[in-house]
Formats: sequence, structure tokens, C-alpha cells
Amino acid sequence: MITVQNLKKTFRVRRGGLLRGSSVVMEAVRDVSFSVGRGEIVGYLGPNGAGKSTTIKVLTGLLVPDSGQVTVGGLVPWKDRRAHVARLGAVFGQRTTLWWDLPVHESLELLRHVYRVPEARFRQNLRDFTELLELGPFLNTPARALSLGQRMRADLAAALLHDPELLFLDEPTVGLDVVAKERIREFVRHVNATREVTVLLTTHDLGDVERLARRVMIIDHGSLLYDGALASLQARYGSPRELVVDYEAAPTDPQVPGLTLLGADGPRVRYGFTGAAATPIARVTAHAPVRDIAVKEPEIEATIRRIYEGGLLRDAALLKR
Amino acid sequence: MDKSSISRPGQREGLFSSAVYHLHLYFLLLRAQARSQAVYRLSFALDAVGSALITLAEFAAFALVIPRFGTLSGWTLGEVALLYGLAELAFVLMDLLFGGFDAPNLSGHVRSGSFNTFLLRPAPLRLQIFGSDFALRRITRVFLAAGILAYGVSASGIVWTPEAAFLLAGSVLGMIAFFGGLFVIGGTLTFWTVESVEAMNVLTYGGRTLISYPMDIYGQFLRKTFTYLLPAAFLSYFPVLHVLGRPLPDGLPLLAAYLSPLVGPLMLAAAFAFWSVGVRHYGGTGT
Ligand SMILES: Nc1ncnc2c1ncn2[C@@H]1O[C@H](COP(=O)(O)OP(=O)(O)OP(=O)(O)O)[C@@H](O)[C@H]1O
Ligand SMILES: [Mg+2]
Repeated sequence: MITVQNLKKTFRVRRGGLLRGSSVVMEAVRDVSFSVGRGEIVGYLGPNGAGKSTTIKVLTGLLVPDSGQVTVGGLVPWKDRRAHVARLGAVFGQRTTLWWDLPVHESLELLRHVYRVPEARFRQNLRDFTELLELGPFLNTPARALSLGQRMRADLAAALLHDPELLFLDEPTVGLDVVAKERIREFVRHVNATREVTVLLTTHDLGDVERLARRVMIIDHGSLLYDGALASLQARYGSPRELVVDYEAAPTDPQVPGLTLLGADGPRVRYGFTGAAATPIARVTAHAPVRDIAVKEPEIEATIRRIYEGGLLRDAALLKR
Repeated sequence: MDKSSISRPGQREGLFSSAVYHLHLYFLLLRAQARSQAVYRLSFALDAVGSALITLAEFAAFALVIPRFGTLSGWTLGEVALLYGLAELAFVLMDLLFGGFDAPNLSGHVRSGSFNTFLLRPAPLRLQIFGSDFALRRITRVFLAAGILAYGVSASGIVWTPEAAFLLAGSVLGMIAFFGGLFVIGGTLTFWTVESVEAMNVLTYGGRTLISYPMDIYGQFLRKTFTYLLPAAFLSYFPVLHVLGRPLPDGLPLLAAYLSPLVGPLMLAAAFAFWSVGVRHYGGTGT
């Protein structure tokens, strides 16, 4: 569905006025390659300024790259703009495609004409989306009067009315409360499952990725650091699992052979370990009388943070070259 | 689910059905604009009255002054009204049509991201811009301009021949295209820098004011510039001279009076060529 090879995009950033002043070349995306198959949901992660939105803008035909090959459904996005955008839907979290002063349903009706959706198909989709996203209460409200969550839902409906094969979501849940986020995730999952819509999604909310994407790509400073299953990211780069032990009494020596001591606070001692929990538990119970034991899984959040901060994968990526 | 039933834009289709689709879409976009503006009723009414008052005051100024002196460089009030009405009518119609390309509006779209929204829709970009800022409140000025023009036509005693009608209509069309072209150029410049907008405004609004009056009142230098360098004199001055049965200056051939519907569209075509360059530049920078 999407093939990207050696994508590079730089921006010339001006310092100072038009006549005097210099310009600096900013490499927003450098040498990025990946492909996305039909029906996949891919989470695209990276810290601020990593190059996520720039990639999406190239894929949607808004930006022309410096070099690299990009095809989306067989088309080159920036060469065949109209045919390309007819097949995709895009939601940029901070903006709306709706007409600001028109009631939502009038905006959707206008888009029906822009995309030339047959009347019957439009009615059907509108009915489905109204139900799934609960648009009913605000279909007659102008976009400017919608809450952020309502506007997001209306924009999602607007992006899908023409049955696109592809959906680009750039921070679709930014600024929303938990319930609103959950509703949007549920909807995206639904259209992916029932309509085979391929989804590429950037976000800073790992909840989005955990709920939606089996595959993640991580980009930083314009380079892809990781592309693979979310689960193996955790296995490969996650911090160790944690064993939290409450002893009957504070042990004189909390050290247990084969386990990493993470910390001790009176009778509560924390150990790090990898692999299955059975052996560490046996070792701990043999060490001293135990009242309670809990196994804590490392958080994906922490894993990603470690990757951003430590450049954990950047070193690995450099080694591969 | 039947996806194949949606005809994709960009597919081969008849020229006629494509034209109908585009015209219909343009109409729908204009209607959306009108409906949006109707929300703000009071400001709409104030704008409508206010902008008409400006035109009225401008015209009233020489309507009061000229009769005192008899003529303005040999032009009666009726003849000046003819020239002024033509320019005003064309400029207001142009403003309505080309509002989306006007630099402040276009750079607003670029900054707010709605320009990206246009690019993400499978309709022609220019069609969407044409349908993006339809300032319906200017409609009062259209009527006022038509009124001034009508007065000018009757007061200057024009003999209505098909030729005169052709010359005047051609003049209006030529000016719409010409000034539309200036709007497009001004809007396109904002892809690079908004600092250029002021300079462009001097040209657009200055040019408009300039051709609202008989060129006889200007010095040689200005007159030559606006004849041969920026061919604004071809737009309304020459056609009106000819309709009034006066000779063209510099011994120019009569043909020069008929060139407005050619000069305007040429300007517009050049402007749209520049526009394409601007859009390509936008694809490189995204701002
Ligand atoms: N139009 C532009 N002109 C100049 N520089 C730009 C432009 N767009 C992006 N950049 C720069 O390119 C880099 C990548 O930006 P991009 O918007 O792709 O990041 P991002 O991953 O989407 O970040 P965020 O999470 O903050 O949205 C940034 O350093 C940004 O400042
Ligand atoms: Mg971004």
C-alpha cells in the first residue's frame, strides 16, 4: 500500500530578513525507508521535531521530498495529487477540514460533492458514522461551537465518508480526555477491521499505540530507529521485569543470588529479573519468610522514554551501517 | 460494500460532465461562503453599507467639484462617471471573484493550514481558492458602481451601437482579468514572503485608482508608463475615448481601443503561470 525508499526532506530555515541573513539547512527526514501493507495499523512514534508530520505530509502529497521513492497505492503522491488524495483520508489533530461557520452536516454534504460520493453510499456512511461516533447531538451545530472531542469525531467522519483505502492520523487524540480518546480509538479499530482501511498514526500517547497498532515505527532526528512489533520492542529494549517482595521482617541481607537488587525499604525489597518468574520466586522464598509477592511488568512508556533519552537504538542503528 | 461505484476524480470523463461538476462545485462553495457570512448579520450589514459609502464619497467628491469648473481636463462629469463606473464595477466584480487570491486571504489560508486542506481534497486547487473567500457584502458596491456607470452612459450621450456595447463590456471583462491577475500575483508572492504584500497593494489599488480618472490629468511620464510599460491604459481609457468619439493619444491606431479583452486575459494567464511556480515552491517548503 505504501512504499518509502530512502526518503529525504530538508528545510531551508531562514535566519533574519529576506535580503540579509543566512539560511540553515534542517534535515527533517533523512534516509527513511519502510513499507506498509493493506489493512495494517502502524503507530509512528518519535519525540517533538523528530520528523513524523513531515513524513505524513510527503505521503499525503503536501510536501515534495528532496530525494527518495514514494508510492502510495501505486501513485506518486505529489505527482498525481487529485487521484491520490481521492483515495485517502487525513486528520491533522490541530486542524479541521470542516467549514467553520456551517453546521457539521452541511460540511459533510459539501464534502460529498467534493469527493463525488454517490448519494446512497453517502447516506449509508453518514448513518454508520453517526451511530459509531455519536454525532447525532451536534450534526446541526457549526464547527466553531464544537468541543475538541466533538470536532475530532466530526473530522474523522469527514475523512472517511468517501471510503478511502488509507487513513493518515496526525495526533488524533491530542488534548482529549480519556473517554474521548477511547471512543476515537474504538472507531479507528472498527473501520480498520470492517473496511480494511490502512492506518498510519502518529501520536505522543502510547495508549493509542497499545490499543491500536501491532506495529510501531520510531523516528528521531529524521532517522528510523525501530520498525517492528510493539511486543518485541518491549522484549528487546524494555527494562527488566520487577519482583516486589514483602518479607515477614526486614531482611538483614536483602541480596539474593541471581537477582538484581533494585531497592530495599524495610521489609519491602524490589528485584529485577528477566525471563520467567518461577525461579526468582523460588529463590526469594528460600531466602527468607515471605508475606506477599508481586510481579511488575515494565511500562512501554518507560521503554520508549529510555529509547528517546538514551539514544539506545541510535547506537544500534549506527552499528548496523 | 461496493467501493467501485464511487467515480474517482481524475478519471477520464467527458469534457461536458467535468465542466458541469466543476461549475456545480464552485456554486456550492460560494453558497457555503454566503451562508457562513449570513451568520454574522450585523457585521455583514455594517460592512455592506460601509464599503458602499466609501465609493459614494469618492464619487461625490468630483460630482461636487467638476460642475464648478465645467470640466476636468476637458472631461465632463458624465464622461468621468463613465470611466469611474467602469473601473469601479470591474474592480468590485473582480474582488468578488478573485477574493481567495487576495494576499491577506491567501496567506491566511497558508498560515491557518486551510491551504493544506485544499490540497488534500480531490478538486482543482484553483477552483477551491476561487470558492474560498466570496465577500458577498461587496454586493452593494456592485449596484452602486452599476448606477454610476448608467449615469455616465446617459450623461455623456453615448450612441448605443453594438460596437460601443462591445467596447464597454470588453473593457469590464479585460479589467476583471487584469486586476484578477494582479491579485493572483500578490497572493502567489506570499508563498515566499508576506513583506511583498504592501508593494503589490500599491500596484493593485494604485492602478485601480489611476484608471478611474481620465489619463489627461496625469503628466507625460505616468501616462507613458501606464500605456507602454504597464498596459493599463488599454483597459478602459482607450475604449472610452473611442466610444466618446475622441482620438487616441500618441497617434495610436484605433485597434488599441479594442485590446482590453486581450490585454486582461494575457495578464491573467501570466499570473497563473507564476501561480504554478508558487504552488511548486510551496510543495518544497510547506509554508
Ligand atoms: N515547513 C517547515 N519549514 C521549516 N522547518 C520545518 C518545517 N516543517 C517542519 N520543520 C522542521 O522539521 C523538523 C521535523 O518536524 P516535524 O513536524 O516533522 O516533527 P514531528 O515529529 O511531527 O514533531 P511533533 O511531535 O512536535 O509534531 C522539526 O525540526 C521542524 O522544526
Ligand atoms: Mg507533528
